[in-house]
Amino acid sequence: MASTRPSTRSRPRPLPEPWRFEAIGTAWTVDTSEDVSAEQRAGVADLVREIDRTWSRFREDGGVARLRAGETVDLGPGAAELLDLYDELHDATDGAVNPLVGGGLEVLGYDAAYTLTRHGDPVAAPAWSTARRVGTTLQVPVGAVLDVGAAGKGWLVDRVATQLVEAGHAPTVDAGGDIAHHGTAPIRVAMEHPGDPTLAVGVVDLQPGLALCGSAVNRRAWGEGLHHVLDARTGRPTRGVVASWVVARTAAVADGAATALFFVPPARLAALDVEAAWIDDEGLHTTPDFPGEVFS
Amino acid sequence: MTHLSRSKKLAMSGAAAVLMLTAACGGGSDTESESTDSSSSDETTEDASSTETATTYTVGDYSAEGSYQTPGGTQSVEVELSLEADGTITAVTVTPQADGGNSEQFQTKFAGGIADEVVGTKIDDLDVSKVSGSSLTSGGFNAAVDEIKAEAAA
Repeated sequence: MASTRPSTRSRPRPLPEPWRFEAIGTAWTVDTSEDVSAEQRAGVADLVREIDRTWSRFREDGGVARLRAGETVDLGPGAAELLDLYDELHDATDGAVNPLVGGGLEVLGYDAAYTLTRHGDPVAAPAWSTARRVGTTLQVPVGAVLDVGAAGKGWLVDRVATQLVEAGHAPTVDAGGDIAHHGTAPIRVAMEHPGDPTLAVGVVDLQPGLALCGSAVNRRAWGEGLHHVLDARTGRPTRGVVASWVVARTAAVADGAATALFFVPPARLAALDVEAAWIDDEGLHTTPDFPGEVFS
Repeated sequence: MTHLSRSKKLAMSGAAAVLMLTAACGGGSDTESESTDSSSSDETTEDASSTETATTYTVGDYSAEGSYQTPGGTQSVEVELSLEADGTITAVTVTPQADGGNSEQFQTKFAGGIADEVVGTKIDDLDVSKVSGSSLTSGGFNAAVDEIKAEAAA
């Protein structure tokens, strides 16, 4: 099925080439039935630039740096939705997911200079209850480092997809395997094996209007026992679950829930209305209504 | 010994590429450029050969570093590979950057150990349009390979 040539009658003309670009360090693919105009592309680029400026833990001029210095910062449109989700993830995981985990990541070497060298003992994140938030405005204790790695990428996928929907498209937005599907027909998505990227452990049937995100500790690891999924309560990398996939109404929820599954079983995430698959030391598991097949 | 000096030279130019990449990501202007990268379903190590078919390369072992940003932070990987004169890549190692003697691939020791128990099917054999997992290193990997091939062009 490499050819996308349409049957002559059902489609009057071929679908446009997917729009591909690199942003926030990952490869994006946007599938649409109509070309995305230059103006619309520039609009997406502006959105991504603005969000990176506000939320990146590695910018000295950004919102995260100002928060760290003790300022009260308005994190802009959409921030309330993301921070509300973090409230839910925090409660569902008894504090294992906490957006103030940034300092703990720095200690383990996931820092602005990307030393990837551990330079201290693991540190617990400041309690999320120490943050004060009104709407999109946040204040955290001086020195606390905001890190939205658990759900931020999915949230950005939603923001990009929403902007394209508002421009009249029915897009499927894929940022390195985190996918918001606003197209008109289901798509099939392979679930990448955490030990071998040429293998799939299953296939998801992703219906229009749903999102799929995956998380795995395999690729973002930089040393013995060191990777990016930290338990905020201890500052130590989680053990046990090595990969997870979640289907949800939004990519933000799917992304955040995929991270939460490293700490709690899916029953704890019932309020988020998700279907999930995950791999732990006993093998591959799915929730009863997971929309797809797994090869076990 | 020639391999050693070659590796060193490329490691240095790799570092320059890291800075450029980081700057580009920070500015966000890269979002407007078309990428020739394939979708994640065929992100394999052979990707980088496309436009350079007429070029010949200095045979040898090379390494370079690629770096890129995510909402969670900057990622960095070291890529080591062996290049044939026609540009064919014969051996590749990708190492997440780690401290001195501790750069052993964590993937093998932890994720691989558990995940080996899980059944897999070749993605190429499946009728799928996308892949979901943790394919975040592709940006850094492709940048490192491009850097090596540019430097190695004879």
